Amino acid sequence: MSLRMLLSILRRHSLMPTLVLLQVALACAILCNVLFLVQQQLAPMLAPSGIAGNELILIDQLASRQKPWSAAEVRRGEQVLRQVPGVRDASAAFGLPMVAGLVDMSLQGGNGVKLGVNGYLGAGLVKTLGLDLVAGRDFLPDEYRDFGMGGDGNSKWDPGAQQPIIITQALADQLFDGGQALGKVMSDPGDADGHGYRVVGIVRHLLRNQLRLASDGRADNTVLLARRIGSTSMLSFAVRVDPAMKDSVREGVAAAIQREFGDTIKAGLVARVSFYNERRAQAFKSERAALWLFAGVTLAVVIVTVVGIMGLTGFWVQKRTRQIGIRRALGARRADILRYFLVENALIVMAGVIVGMLFALLGNGLLMRHYELPQLPWIYLPFGAALMLVLGQFAVLGPALRAARVPPVVATRSV
Amino acid sequence: MVRYNLELALRGLRRFPRSTLLAVLTVALGLASSMTTLALLHMLTADPLPGRSQHLYLAWVDTVQAKLADYPSLNGVKVSNYRRIKMADAQALLQAHRAVQQAALAGLDADVSTADGDHVQQGQSLLGTTSGFVPMFGVALRYGRSWSAAEDVARAPVAVIDVDLAQKLFGTANVVGRSIRLDQTAFRVIGVSAPFAPQPHFYGLDRWAFSGSDLENVFVPYTAALDAGLMPGDSDGCDASDKKRGLFDADPARCAWLAYWVQLDTPQQVADYRGYLDHYAEQQPALEGRTRQKAQLHGVSEWLTQQNVIPDNARMNVWLAGSFLLLCMVNVAGLLTAKFLRRSAEIGIRRALGAPRRAIFAQHVLEATVVSALGGVLALPLTLLGLWILRMQDQGFTDLARLDPVMFGGLFALALAVGVLVGVLPAWRASTVEPGLQVKSA
Repeated sequence: MSLRMLLSILRRHSLMPTLVLLQVALACAILCNVLFLVQQQLAPMLAPSGIAGNELILIDQLASRQKPWSAAEVRRGEQVLRQVPGVRDASAAFGLPMVAGLVDMSLQGGNGVKLGVNGYLGAGLVKTLGLDLVAGRDFLPDEYRDFGMGGDGNSKWDPGAQQPIIITQALADQLFDGGQALGKVMSDPGDADGHGYRVVGIVRHLLRNQLRLASDGRADNTVLLARRIGSTSMLSFAVRVDPAMKDSVREGVAAAIQREFGDTIKAGLVARVSFYNERRAQAFKSERAALWLFAGVTLAVVIVTVVGIMGLTGFWVQKRTRQIGIRRALGARRADILRYFLVENALIVMAGVIVGMLFALLGNGLLMRHYELPQLPWIYLPFGAALMLVLGQFAVLGPALRAARVPPVVATRSV
Repeated sequence: MVRYNLELALRGLRRFPRSTLLAVLTVALGLASSMTTLALLHMLTADPLPGRSQHLYLAWVDTVQAKLADYPSLNGVKVSNYRRIKMADAQALLQAHRAVQQAALAGLDADVSTADGDHVQQGQSLLGTTSGFVPMFGVALRYGRSWSAAEDVARAPVAVIDVDLAQKLFGTANVVGRSIRLDQTAFRVIGVSAPFAPQPHFYGLDRWAFSGSDLENVFVPYTAALDAGLMPGDSDGCDASDKKRGLFDADPARCAWLAYWVQLDTPQQVADYRGYLDHYAEQQPALEGRTRQKAQLHGVSEWLTQQNVIPDNARMNVWLAGSFLLLCMVNVAGLLTAKFLRRSAEIGIRRALGAPRRAIFAQHVLEATVVSALGGVLALPLTLLGLWILRMQDQGFTDLARLDPVMFGGLFALALAVGVLVGVLPAWRASTVEPGLQVKSA
């Protein structure tokens, strides 16, 4: 049967195909946008952290009661932690991922691009976090300058000279042509009289602190600065441990913190001591909830669409039982009938998908205007289209098989 | 006639129970998802203080002398400016007393304990404010009184606490005259209030916007709170650039940390106060020659819109659910068309026996409406389930998700409207069935 005949039948009985088309269009639009939202939620969860998560204990929620802790007290804290059995390394640090509080700054690279990044401060972080240094070197011990938050005022943010900095591979690629960053200088566009930063090392991955921004290639917008935690009234620690001694080492670390800082911590505060991986699971709780929601929406849309197409096509097949009988009597094989209905469905669904893509872009435009959402990438449209085609063929299979079983003798009966 | 149509409609529904059930379920799903998201949005957009909020305004004069930092925007961090002012300005505005009522306020944290220190509630949220707050915001006092302007000036260590905190600390509600400690300093309780938790928390968005659990349960003069060593946590900028200093000490004398709320009852008063604020800003010698905006007055709803208080997710979910409802409606329209046209023969006979098109149309719209009404009834438990799931989500604002009776009425009206809308197309199609043709082939 020719395509022209098929189209003319569709034109003559247009109500049912139109309804199917409309359903497909709506479902396609919803699915494209939902899948895009899912991807946005998923991106931070899938971003590699660069950190040995089950070997890293993080300690935060430490604030001093009356006066800030001195640099010497912070040093002793690190020392005490290193002596806990099972601990391999310990650094006082600021801004780490999954830790309360962040250090944000902006950088301008050799190619003029300006980026917002998260800074991690602390002595020996490359080793403590277990980072993979792909080029250059770690900071030298004499490069570190003291810095604290709400400290005694002796540690300044600006050290008054060019500072060494370690950046991620992703940052090197974004800020320097050809990713050739080692030894180059970056500046801070917000600080015209600043002294700039010289790249001394590049690490493969390091997840940023602001998880909500960890999508669209921004997950690794993170730098390490050559700062040692000095006098400060806020504290957090990163502790690298032997994974074989997981449980005992956590208790040991918690006890050491209690011993060392229990008397000087602000009343009502309890230091939080937990593994990176546990915090990660906690931090993504709401993302996971949203994912379940979107999965539910997707499932509901799929079911409703399939059921709708099945119902409509089933009725339409039944209505044409007699015509099918006539065609069979005139020599059409079962396979011809089956193919006819599959092709018909594919045509309708494709038309629906084209309308649906327009709807999807419209919907995305609406979302973009009102919410901070990037443009729907083109790749989602063919993907959504393919999905709808498969769903359509699946839904029409039952009715089409039923149609193929119609015996030729029906043509001679009145329906 | 309606009864006859209804009878026919019910009979029709029973004829193919499976397709009826499918249609009802689809309607219920679409309605429930829309209602769940709408119920949440309805809660989030409710008037925080009905009867008062339209007279409340946030007054702001920008006298902070540091230059504006624009670099955080690079980092995707919205520079949130809660339009707070410096203490000196707040005192000057209070002194001038140009509004009907006025109060400066700031959220603070402290451990609250009984005087003997036996019962402690750690990390409570306090509101450091002035005497105008309690009357202006309509905090209901159960016992005792609020403090006076004179006590503000005298920096009197007095407090109004809420009845739940009184119960927790003292085991009784009327604790007027007893003493509590905020961190280390003793305050005398002079009043006990009902719990005060307007949603959203419009006067202190720097602390939280929506919360089912957070509320300020101690009100104290901010002057006395400063004397007690309670320091404001953050600010909207300080005179000296804070870059070279520690990041966490908001200097109460030099930082903008007090929100200043006024009550203005008439448009004339609003205009006058606006003029007064502009005049005040003009008079600041430090601001001469500066081009950025110096004074603003925001009404509550305008303020909430400007601060983008309604979570994006809540609105986005409404859009999503709305488009899903649309899909469900198209689906049901299809199912019903198929269902109605299956009985073309029957319709043909009715038409041949003299039933007008109108009657056929009415019968089928009615049938569609019954389907939707059933869907609406089924949507109620589904909506409650959806809201329960939302409350489980733990995103700060979701624990406010509840269905009130008005929303339930809305649900049912929506169901009926969906029924009529969905029914029109199939019913029209059914009513165009030609009598002769159908009778012949049957």
